[in-house]
Amino acid sequence: MLSRLSALPRDARDTLFLLLVIAWVVLPQVGNLPLWCSLLAAGVLLWRGWLAVTARPLPGKWWLLGLLAATLAATLATHRTLLGRDAGVTLIVVLLALKTLELRARRDAFVIFFLGFFTMLTNFFFSQSLLTAAAMLVALLGLLTALVNAHMPVGKPPLLQAARTAGWMALLGAPIMAVLFMLFPRLAPLWGIPSDAMSGRSGLSASMQVGNIASLALDESIAMRIRFEDGRIPPQQDLYFRGPVLSAFDGREWRPLASRFSQRNGVPAALEVVGAPYRYEVTLEPNNRPWIFVMEAAEQRPELPGAELAMTPDLQWLSNRPVTDLTRYKAVSYADFRHGPQRFAAGLAEYQLLPDGFNPRTRALAAELRNQQPRADSAALVAAVLDRLRSGGYTYTLDPGVYGANTADEFWFDRKEGFCEHIASAFVVLMRALDIPARVVTGYQGGERNSVDDYWIVRQSDAHAWAEVWMAGRGWVRVDPTAAVAPSRIGALQRLQAPRGVFASAIGTVSPGLAETLRAAWEAVNNGWNQWVLNYTQSKQLDLLKNLGFESPSWEDLSYVLIGLVVLVSLGGAAWTLWERSQHDPWLRLLGRARRRLHEAGLEMAPASPPRQIAALARRRFGAGADALADWLLRLEAQRYARDPRGNLAALRREFNQLAWPKP
Amino acid sequence: MAAGWNPLNLVRARFRQWWQSRLPLADTTTLTQRNVYILPTRPGFMLGATLLVLLVASINYQLNLGYLLTFLLAGSAIVGMHVCHATLRGLTMHLSPPDTQFMGASATLGITLVNERRSPRHGIGLSVLESDHWAWTDVPAQGSASVQVAFTPASRGLHRVPPLTAETRFPLGTFRVWTVWRPAAQVLVYPAPEAFAPPLPPGEPRSGGAAAARVQSTGEFDGVRAYRRGDPLKLVVWKKAAKADELVSRDSQQAQRHELWLDLAQAGSLGTEHRLSRLCAWVLQADRLGVDYGLRLPGLELKPASGEAHKRRCLEALALC
Repeated sequence: MLSRLSALPRDARDTLFLLLVIAWVVLPQVGNLPLWCSLLAAGVLLWRGWLAVTARPLPGKWWLLGLLAATLAATLATHRTLLGRDAGVTLIVVLLALKTLELRARRDAFVIFFLGFFTMLTNFFFSQSLLTAAAMLVALLGLLTALVNAHMPVGKPPLLQAARTAGWMALLGAPIMAVLFMLFPRLAPLWGIPSDAMSGRSGLSASMQVGNIASLALDESIAMRIRFEDGRIPPQQDLYFRGPVLSAFDGREWRPLASRFSQRNGVPAALEVVGAPYRYEVTLEPNNRPWIFVMEAAEQRPELPGAELAMTPDLQWLSNRPVTDLTRYKAVSYADFRHGPQRFAAGLAEYQLLPDGFNPRTRALAAELRNQQPRADSAALVAAVLDRLRSGGYTYTLDPGVYGANTADEFWFDRKEGFCEHIASAFVVLMRALDIPARVVTGYQGGERNSVDDYWIVRQSDAHAWAEVWMAGRGWVRVDPTAAVAPSRIGALQRLQAPRGVFASAIGTVSPGLAETLRAAWEAVNNGWNQWVLNYTQSKQLDLLKNLGFESPSWEDLSYVLIGLVVLVSLGGAAWTLWERSQHDPWLRLLGRARRRLHEAGLEMAPASPPRQIAALARRRFGAGADALADWLLRLEAQRYARDPRGNLAALRREFNQLAWPKP
Repeated sequence: MAAGWNPLNLVRARFRQWWQSRLPLADTTTLTQRNVYILPTRPGFMLGATLLVLLVASINYQLNLGYLLTFLLAGSAIVGMHVCHATLRGLTMHLSPPDTQFMGASATLGITLVNERRSPRHGIGLSVLESDHWAWTDVPAQGSASVQVAFTPASRGLHRVPPLTAETRFPLGTFRVWTVWRPAAQVLVYPAPEAFAPPLPPGEPRSGGAAAARVQSTGEFDGVRAYRRGDPLKLVVWKKAAKADELVSRDSQQAQRHELWLDLAQAGSLGTEHRLSRLCAWVLQADRLGVDYGLRLPGLELKPASGEAHKRRCLEALALC
């Protein structure tokens, strides 16, 4: 590629290289851009490249204006606005591509260069993964290379030379980057995170229509990573991460209770915990929701700097702003806990409501159960229902087909198969039909340990729905009906495997464990990246200062350290300048030292007298005592003017100290 | 010049003059921290603005990777500033003495750049201060490069070579690093030879010559005349014939009797400069024809002679009078 580039005239070669870099910068965006925008950018870049190779004139101003107007209109049509993130990204890509069409003077090259950097930054809106970072590092080096190359006006220097200069600059700039990154105060967003900062992320949703967790089951992406402290790791069956609690059912969809109502009339959480807690740290992938997932049940507020957290009456932790970034927090959870009122309270009636006209057969089933055990309490009824699930021929499947209007009826009587949400939903409906307060809890269940870095990884495919049943004297009790149907879904590591990709199955045929190991290693690397780079927050900065010896660091201290470093470096630079000013040829310096010694001893000489002359003067003045000295001076002269000027100056310098200098 | 009325420009010009006058005069200069200056260019300010926008975007979208990008770019730019400064720092420039010149032609200054460092220096431009004609060069590692810049002297006479400037924007173009250098060398500028000068003046009778009265007014100048039928071949000046494309014969008698004097007082009635430039043309013409000629200027008289040294002496006299 490079050799073919170098066969072109310099102008064409430079232009092609710049186009290549631009294509590289835009490429990761293609998935996020409207199709027309990607096509237009590709077309324009190809066109410009063809113009460069065939040395044709660039299109006129009217062409550009026309194209610009067309793209503005298209952007407006696609995004309904010219402002905001997505429209901005589209526009900047288009501008970058169009600007290449008037790439004539150096000024235009600069505009492209700076637009290129904005485009690089927009990549990070969509992904901050290690891969993106690596791709953008290459892009940065490419842009720097193009710029360096533009400032080598003579001849046709090889691109590799410019690339080497750019690489060196980036390498030497890296320590500056590291210091700034560590010490630059992490400010809160200046005018709030734009509402469109997040989109297209998958994850749990705030409502549950039977069938939508099943779509998550195939999503192997990571929801969160957990590191347990103190070496205490809970058993798999305790790994329930609580998310939205869904208590309002309209026959088709489960939703949280309307907050206005539950606030006035709500059932208090009344959480009591027993036993030793688990302490852990969660690194939550962004999900654009205010949910802070914690293991059940966390009594203390999780530590999340810069956000205000509050617990809802149904025990879910919420943040005051959506999790739009990789977020890390510490939490303390108890596997042994009670919550909810011990005696029946007015608010609990809400958890017994069922919409009219749905699931008549389930209601009939409830009546039948009541008749069989007229005196049974809630616990006995729950046990009976679970028993029915276990023994009634119900199966767990990822692909239960589409349910009709009466989902509970269909589950209990017709299909008898489903995913956790079908099971939980049908179970809660049956409980409510039995007049037992019950609700659906969504979240994640389980996780697997990465053998490489010991982090526990919870994936989107671990999304789960279970039930909570209120029992007198015990409060809310977790019941996981899925466990009754498919005990292996809970607890054990085996679970329904999503179909594997071609690549993974190819590796799998070679070595069954290799794909898993590779994935574990790759995810560990990514996790390291997340922990060290993406999660470098203000609290980490302040920790750093604490290690540096600040008692109670604040961000002002950060700026002091930063300013101090700048001053230190500047002083270093000034000292170096001074040193360089006094710095002469080492040979001259050595001669100067000898001259000073002799001058102190009272020898008069002209300021420009050469060593030979000084030697003669010294001999005349000090006699035979100066022979060694004179010899040294002559050797010094020979060192300078003999054939091999690289002779041993260091040896002469060493000898200087051992010479018998005449005393004054 | 309308801008001349701007007091700020006057002050600036005075400052520049003062500044330049304190620069040492030297034909060889080594650039150090003390005589290399650096300022950001317009793209440099643009880069600063870009960094600011990137930073604000990183803050607002809380992008740690954005911070990394911004700071890496800033770090590279700072290193670039240092590289830019180091491109000139430590460079030795040497001016070879310029050739004499006729007024109106441009004088060429040959400059040798010596690099003792083990890495090459790229993109160094040289020009006469305040002219806009740059000569760009790279200087190889531990080697040297030669550059020529031209300037057009404004008047005849002995001139100091104008101040020169070297500049580089390598590697990023965000900083301009430059130096101003006043060479000690001087350039001698002869008057411009008149383009269509009248023919050489007639010869004057040799002073004290016996045959002063027998002037044959042939309209021919000293010692040479057009070939006449019957002239012996040995009288033909073949050299001239080859040059002038017509036969000329040596007029030995005339040569003895007349000598050619180029006199400022008799070089027409125009201004002094014009007359000097006519004399200049005559000197060149006489030298071309290979005849002896003398030069008379106010307070100076050069005896008739010929040859390169004589011509040079005459031209110098014309330049300096």
